[in-house]
Amino acid sequence: MTAIVAEQLTKRFPPAIDAVAGIDLSIARGQVFGFLGPNGSGKTTTVRMLTTLLRPTSGRAAVDGLDVTRHSSEVRRRIGVALQDAGLDDLQTGRELLALQGLLYNLDPRRVRERAAELLEVVDLVDAADRWVKTYSGGMKRRLDLAAALMHEPKIVFLDEPTTGLDPISRESIWRYVRELNANEGVTFFLTTQYLEEADRLADVVAIMDRGRIVAQGSPAELKASIATDVITVRIDGAGGALERAAGAVRRIEGIEDVRTVDGSVVIYVRDGSRAVARVAVLLEEQSVHVDEVTLAHPTLDDVFLRSTGHHIEADEHQAEAAS
Amino acid sequence: MIATGRASYFLMVRALREAVRQPIVEISNIFIPMFFFAVTVGAIGSVAGRAFGVTNFLGFQMPVAILQAVAGAAGNSGLGTVQDIERGYFDKLMLTPAPRLSLVMGRLAADSVRSMFLALLIVIGGLAAGSGMEAGPLGFLLLIALAGFFGMAYAGFGVAIALRTGSAQAAQASFLVFFPLLFLSPAFAPKEVFAPWLEFLATINPVTYVLQGMRDLVLEGWDAGSLAGALAAIAGISAFTLSLTLFALRSRVA
Repeated sequence: MTAIVAEQLTKRFPPAIDAVAGIDLSIARGQVFGFLGPNGSGKTTTVRMLTTLLRPTSGRAAVDGLDVTRHSSEVRRRIGVALQDAGLDDLQTGRELLALQGLLYNLDPRRVRERAAELLEVVDLVDAADRWVKTYSGGMKRRLDLAAALMHEPKIVFLDEPTTGLDPISRESIWRYVRELNANEGVTFFLTTQYLEEADRLADVVAIMDRGRIVAQGSPAELKASIATDVITVRIDGAGGALERAAGAVRRIEGIEDVRTVDGSVVIYVRDGSRAVARVAVLLEEQSVHVDEVTLAHPTLDDVFLRSTGHHIEADEHQAEAAS
Repeated sequence: MIATGRASYFLMVRALREAVRQPIVEISNIFIPMFFFAVTVGAIGSVAGRAFGVTNFLGFQMPVAILQAVAGAAGNSGLGTVQDIERGYFDKLMLTPAPRLSLVMGRLAADSVRSMFLALLIVIGGLAAGSGMEAGPLGFLLLIALAGFFGMAYAGFGVAIALRTGSAQAAQASFLVFFPLLFLSPAFAPKEVFAPWLEFLATINPVTYVLQGMRDLVLEGWDAGSLAGALAAIAGISAFTLSLTLFALRSRVA
């Protein structure tokens, strides 16, 4: 049975910005669904519509069989949500925050105390449970936010960039909780991320979002297989139009599927990469192109993103970090 | 309705906890009105009888100090809402099945309690200084309750601005708006000595009726007409600010 469905879901902000431009989704129960895309691609807007925080401009969406616009209150009862910035109250303790969350979901006060204690243990916050949230680190806040989203034992959980800005250990912890809940309790996760590794390691199905549209969708393995090639990346000293000269030259090699120039590199998609790499190196030498580095790899989700959109998701991440 | 009341209660407790954990906020809310109270009575108290026939100027000024303190506390309510929005906690609350009205009512109820607490401190101070209370112990309780009702009503203004703008500066404006309303009421002298234009403005100002109702409890005793005027004014302010708040709340999910 389907946990989340969207049909031509659209959100337009004035004057005429299509943050989400008619997307279709169908997410099965018990699935971990990864929604991958750079900053500003429309991931958070989609989550806000699916979780009833934002009214769609057009199209429809249903969660657990309930229309998000017409049955918003009932939808909220059935979902757990941890938004991009851990939305917490600094002046409450972790335990108080979880208790309030449970009470607002109409849980019995005794069950609230038990459930809060259980979850504090699950997210390793027992020692900090009675400290004010403002004393927590970023990773602790994210874990508490996740616990708050799980207080009422929802079967569908939305996590909006749950690990952005976290250190590798905290990130690994969040991944572990997601895997355990999914495997042991069959919780469906809708997980947005701008991290390729996160989508690759956690998600059963990934949708790649760019500029408000879904540009590719499938399991990580399917998406990578859809490229059906190896990827040779040649980093070049691009002075004097060397990048374009190199791209033009390698396009002539037999078996080359596609060639892109991105961020000072020529990215070559080729069926038999191990055989082609030597020919590429020789050809560039003949063209007097100064090569800094050549790498050969199997395709990653970033390659899928690049093939679908013409730019790297990683580059967008770095740009976002630089901007911040 | 039960769900709204239940959720409002939990959110009220949370907002009160927030207030207790930031005592400096309440200290400033009480200090400024008490300071003005003392200075005004010290400066004008001895001439108020001859100037405009008010012999108990301490009792005359006590409700003004209460309203100032309550308006200050209500202004903080808007700031609290802005902080919740900025931290993302307001979204967290919006994502629960708690009725949306309770998200507002919980905070307003907490403001009512805070207002009553501040009023209690001021009245105790006033009584200790000799203001008297003509309406007796019941009047004392009603005075505190009126402060609570007014606090709840006025806080809706700051919360509405906070929800609409998400701006701390704008939310603080609700406190600034209170000053013209206070000065256009018979706060420092009876309305009868005002110039005609000021008397007219005071007559159409709802704060005048709240002030008069409180003042009569202190100076005159029980006056049903005056109390009805105060309650009607508070009800009018409540209806206005609550409508603004619900409209602002709806706009947050547009």
